[in-house]
Amino acid sequence: MASVAPRRPHILVVEDDRTLNGQIAGLLESKGYRTCQCYEGEGALLSALGQHFDLILLDVLLPKLNGFDVLDRLRKTRQTPVMMLTACGAEEERILGYRRGADDYVPKPFGFTELILRIDALLRRTLGHTDQRGDPEELTLGSLKLDRGNLEAHHADTPITLTPIQFRLLWSLALHQGEVLSKPYLYQLVLEREFSRYDRSLDMHLSRVRRKLIMAGMAADRLQTVHGKGYCFL
Amino acid sequence: MTRRLFWKLCAPLVLGTLALVWVVTFLGDETEQQMSFIAEQHQQTLKQWGDTAERLYRAGDEQALAVWLEELQARENTWAAVVRSDAQPLAGSTLSAQFQEGFRLGRNVEWKIHLYFTENPIMDLPFADGHTHFLVTLPQRMRPGTYLPEVKLLLKLALPLAVLMLLASVIYHYLMGPLRQLEMATRAFSEGNLGVRVRAQFGNRSDELTALAETFDRMAERTGDLILTQRRLIADLSHELRTPLTRIDMALSCVEEGIDTQHFLPRIRRECRLMRSLVEDALTLAWLENEQPSLDQDSLDLTDLLDSVIEDARYEYPQHCLDVDLPHQAEISGSSHRALAQAVENVIRNACHYTPAGGHIRIGLRPEGEGYRLTIDDQGPGVATEQMELIFTPFYRTAQARDDRPDGHGLGLALARRQVEAVGGKIHAENLAEGGLRMSLWFPASRPTPP
Repeated sequence: MASVAPRRPHILVVEDDRTLNGQIAGLLESKGYRTCQCYEGEGALLSALGQHFDLILLDVLLPKLNGFDVLDRLRKTRQTPVMMLTACGAEEERILGYRRGADDYVPKPFGFTELILRIDALLRRTLGHTDQRGDPEELTLGSLKLDRGNLEAHHADTPITLTPIQFRLLWSLALHQGEVLSKPYLYQLVLEREFSRYDRSLDMHLSRVRRKLIMAGMAADRLQTVHGKGYCFL
Repeated sequence: MTRRLFWKLCAPLVLGTLALVWVVTFLGDETEQQMSFIAEQHQQTLKQWGDTAERLYRAGDEQALAVWLEELQARENTWAAVVRSDAQPLAGSTLSAQFQEGFRLGRNVEWKIHLYFTENPIMDLPFADGHTHFLVTLPQRMRPGTYLPEVKLLLKLALPLAVLMLLASVIYHYLMGPLRQLEMATRAFSEGNLGVRVRAQFGNRSDELTALAETFDRMAERTGDLILTQRRLIADLSHELRTPLTRIDMALSCVEEGIDTQHFLPRIRRECRLMRSLVEDALTLAWLENEQPSLDQDSLDLTDLLDSVIEDARYEYPQHCLDVDLPHQAEISGSSHRALAQAVENVIRNACHYTPAGGHIRIGLRPEGEGYRLTIDDQGPGVATEQMELIFTPFYRTAQARDDRPDGHGLGLALARRQVEAVGGKIHAENLAEGGLRMSLWFPASRPTPP
């Protein structure tokens, strides 16, 4: 899962709670990331502008300069991916965060597993692992044929009508046949947004794709749900 | 009627002012007239002078008359004379009958005086013969209307002032009474008396101010409810957090003592997960209750949603038998997939939980009215009729639920109800004749999206 690139990604952790900051940094280091810690807004902004980071974990409530202000100023010159961490779960703040250019949003409390899945998904997208220009134009997996240029799918010459999102989902799973793709990763890849608890958009698209594949005559267990992990095309 | 207050204020103001103008004019005219007459005692004095002059004249004592006239003129600082009038018609004309009886050179003492002339008029007291007159310029002391300017000032300034002030005071009290009651109610409310209401104190009155009172009452109702809900939520939440916190504390102590470490670390993780979901659910509940948001931005297919929730349930409860009857498609718009997913997930998980292993859960979705009806039947113990509504109250748990699910915190159905209502749907529970509980949910197929 956490396929940390040959180059170790550099992450800036901005969080005023020193204990939590230390814990996050420690756990990230143990997963092979390089980290840098900051405890207040102004210092964080200086570090973010002065060094190269692959990702910034940014708390909202910070001394001196709050997270949204840091984000605003950073975005004037840098497009470093930013993941907001906040204790306020209200919808408004989430929407506010996005409009101002955050790439993901993690409401507190969060578990480390959830955090690392999201970091991984975001980095895979931003570090170019999901660049589709390298993808083949067509995929053939047994009797299933996918044509990326025309967004067309056929199963044993039976056409399957898919929406662009459904096609992208099936394409991604088929491309990584046999590999379990995590939900946060698929959200970034297919829906181009963050994953959050109780969000079933991806599951609903997958259910629909599965129904269509079954109707076209495919076995029900080709599209597998790996509970607690993600989805896999066998 | 709209603008009641306007008409209520208009009537006394307009009518009162009109009446006032009329009364002031009438009284002014009347007083001026009344004050134009020479006072009775002065009339008598003048007549006595006339009589004296006539007596002296008749006596032929012209010397005495002259002395008397001289003395009178000096005493009263005026002009007086006795004259004979002798009207002679000329050029063949004749005198009218009036002139033959006598005519006047000055004014009768009983006539009104023109007060707007500054000079005093000449009074004429004719003698019995009709041709001789005692004439006297009215002495200043006998001139009527001495107090006319003061009376006019009183009438034109003091009276309107008094009446208008009275009117203003009546209007003020009419407006201030209710406002003062509102002020007192607001103060009482701000001091924590959440039960205070105003409309009833206004009695039968009905105007813009009572509308304001009704608005205040509605505000007090809603705010009071919110405060009570919040207080209850905080109290319940802190109470619910105590238990897992204590268990974590105990588990940590056990780990520190080296007792059964393998067993207690997962326990701590489980307790953390429990507290996390408790806090998240409580915050979502508070958000739904406080903001009462209308969640109407998503379109989704209920069949897809149920497919994915049921797939999870089958994984979590492998021994249960889920009989599912879904249409191929059930698209709805103006909804929220997140709210619906959580609500449906909670209800289905409940059904699985209370159904004994190996039991059946029937899930059916079919069109009904302008939307879809989702029914979830379990084979659990059902719910006592008197608790059928209570199970949707936050933190409420039946005795059965407390025994069966020590991990639950009684927020699932409360959340589900608010989530379903936020997407315009309905949810209710009923016992099945053959045993078990049926959860019945209805979702509108579309909702008008506000601009």
